[in-house]
Amino acid sequence: MEERKDHLWKVALDAEERIEDLVKTATSPVGVDVGTSKIVVALRRTKDVDTSAQINAFIPVPYSRFTESTLTQNAIAHYREDDDLIVYGTAAERFANLFNAETRRPMADGMVNPKEKLAMPVLEAILGGLVPKPRTQGEIMAFSVPAGEDREAALTYHEAMLRQYFESLGYTARPINEGVAVIFSELEDHNFTGIGISCGGGMTNVTLAHLSIPFIMFAIPKAGDYIDHSVGMVVNEHATRVKIVKEENLDLSRPPRDKFDRALHIYYQDLVETLVETLRQRIVKSERKSERPMPIVLSGGTSRPRGFKDLFEKTLNTRPLPMPISEVRLARDPLTATARGALIAAMYER
Amino acid sequence: MKTNHLSRAELLQKTRLREFERALEIIGSSIRNPVVKLQFLRESLAQYESLRRRVDWIPLAVIRRAAYRWLSLERFRSYADARTLSPYHRAHLRRALWLGRFWSGLASSLILCGITASSIAILVMIPSLSARMTSQPSDALARESAPARSLRLDPPAATPRCSPPPSVWLVERGKDWEQYSNGLRIDTRYSVPGDPRRFHVFDDTGRLEEIHHAPVGILYHTSESDIWPLEASFNERLRDSSDRLIRYIRRRRLYNYVIDRFGRSFRVVEEHCKANHSGHSIWGHNGRYYLNLNHPFIGICFESRWEGGVSLPITTAQITTARSLTDCLRFRYGIAPEMCAGHGMASVNPTRHLIGHHLDWARGLPFDALGLPDQYRRPPPSIAVFGFDYDDHFLNEVVEPWPGIRTAERFLAAEAARRGISLTALRMEKQARYDEWLSQHVPNDNQPPHSTRRAARGGS
Repeated sequence: MEERKDHLWKVALDAEERIEDLVKTATSPVGVDVGTSKIVVALRRTKDVDTSAQINAFIPVPYSRFTESTLTQNAIAHYREDDDLIVYGTAAERFANLFNAETRRPMADGMVNPKEKLAMPVLEAILGGLVPKPRTQGEIMAFSVPAGEDREAALTYHEAMLRQYFESLGYTARPINEGVAVIFSELEDHNFTGIGISCGGGMTNVTLAHLSIPFIMFAIPKAGDYIDHSVGMVVNEHATRVKIVKEENLDLSRPPRDKFDRALHIYYQDLVETLVETLRQRIVKSERKSERPMPIVLSGGTSRPRGFKDLFEKTLNTRPLPMPISEVRLARDPLTATARGALIAAMYER
Repeated sequence: MKTNHLSRAELLQKTRLREFERALEIIGSSIRNPVVKLQFLRESLAQYESLRRRVDWIPLAVIRRAAYRWLSLERFRSYADARTLSPYHRAHLRRALWLGRFWSGLASSLILCGITASSIAILVMIPSLSARMTSQPSDALARESAPARSLRLDPPAATPRCSPPPSVWLVERGKDWEQYSNGLRIDTRYSVPGDPRRFHVFDDTGRLEEIHHAPVGILYHTSESDIWPLEASFNERLRDSSDRLIRYIRRRRLYNYVIDRFGRSFRVVEEHCKANHSGHSIWGHNGRYYLNLNHPFIGICFESRWEGGVSLPITTAQITTARSLTDCLRFRYGIAPEMCAGHGMASVNPTRHLIGHHLDWARGLPFDALGLPDQYRRPPPSIAVFGFDYDDHFLNEVVEPWPGIRTAERFLAAEAARRGISLTALRMEKQARYDEWLSQHVPNDNQPPHSTRRAARGGS
């Protein structure tokens, strides 16, 4: 008598073990923000949420025993690939800056880079260092994915690759839209109603949700990388260098001081204008419009420079949305908002 | 601009939805755990249609809003503890719940009084009608006035109140579809043949010799597959996952029908063939019992995850289709409404003599919406006739055994007392009968009867 519902049993059987494991290890679901430029993992520890991040980039250096032992001694994340040593994570940026070279990225435009042959091996190496092994088979985890209305095929591939990897670790993996994750982590006080914007490296993701149900989701291909490359071209610098300067010194509330600064201001302005205009158009087209004021929350590494929120508000005043906005604010921690939202999604899925 | 062209009905619907959302927002604001809040909001939104139907008749907006709030609070009660609510909000919740119950009780009493008064007035004013009614008592009155009967499997509460299925016929058939007169459309593109149905029926004397080939019941399942949110943005994934699920079910010949999340019905294993949907299971009605329901029952699978049956895990579209399909099958094969049950209600572990080997629909099957009497009120034959029991695992999942189980337990206790033997001895006697019958059964299924998964995991 064939029966094919083992999973029903598994859920029931594992329940007690799972509770014991939770008590023992205090681990529970995992939320992962798989971003183009950074990977952030959020884990729940008894009462708090722990987050850890790693830069999603790598740089190959020629193999030699000496280099390898130096990297090992300095605890620099790397692995060997034929005649190269692949240095990945935070150290990759330092190396690139040191050698005046560009880092390579496993992801582009928010998804696994199909042109990069080392994309998945590097991504797996970075994720492997951040995501703990589940204590019980089938533990729920959620990972962020971008909105992919016009890139359905690429998104399917991206999602499937990540899902397979997480499931090979023993998780039950659930994708969650980046914008929705921001709403989950930041708009709890508003009953998950409002607009969540994640300005990441490859894409800027936007979601408008009402009582946690998203009804507008889109992404624009302008984000941190776009600014880095565009500025790099006009000031003749590597994008990696632009990124470092941008993250360390940029203040959008002050007038630009030099050519470098001016270029950054210009491309930030361009990004925000495109973002607000696209949002406006999407709301106009949408059949459902809120009559009550909604909050907007900005998150992601690209929203971190001082003055970004003011720039956004100023642009919003020049191109008003066809619905009232109650406030614009930055996420409590823009870098980890998506991962924390994914964690809430994972806990909800349990 | 578009708003101006909204019909009155649409405007009314919009207003109702806003009232409901406002009620949710008020409750949501008092929940301090984000996960619980998310759960509450999403589950409540999924229940909107059923709540609306319950509240829609109330003429005053202010009472409607209060009713929405109260009904939503009643649903939220199960999550409300110190972790989810502040002390202030917990006290507030308790007050609101009692107030809601008080007002609804008062309203019900007033309605009841009104109905009673009208009935009395009619009886007084129309003596001839009164005389006719007293000389020909209705079934219900007759049942109430009848002397208490000996123990029986179908208590009055389970007597079908639903009407027989309407006449349903095949209107038209295409290459990959069939259209029925009640609106049911069956997609037949995945249809495959299987082993023909062949089963024995048992009665109190044991196995009856005649071999039957036509289905006598319907068993409802959930697929327990991955489920995507029912939102437009997930459309492709929803379609893709349904497609893959049906192919899998087809390969394994698991169910006769699958109803996907959009409410589309697919015939997989042909109706005259058995599907491998049930395994070790027991059901019965009117003194006729069926063991291992793959052969005698049609398996209908909802693409969904049961998740403990705390909330309704299927969509409105699925319910509508399931109702039409049930009517169609019941009409075609003359299936009694008592022979339609959830898999979790019939599934057993034959080695340990426990019910609930599989648990999908062990609670929460919306019988009413399917036009069927509530089978959770009927004593399951597995306990009443074969003395099966349940364990802590079952209780953990279903929380409270359904009322029929309690009735069956009372039957057993009464019988043990009457015969002057212990309940354990009575159970063992009945279980031995099951073992004997089972050994006479197994007509076609190729696996030995004592190899269920629960036994395989070494349970005691």
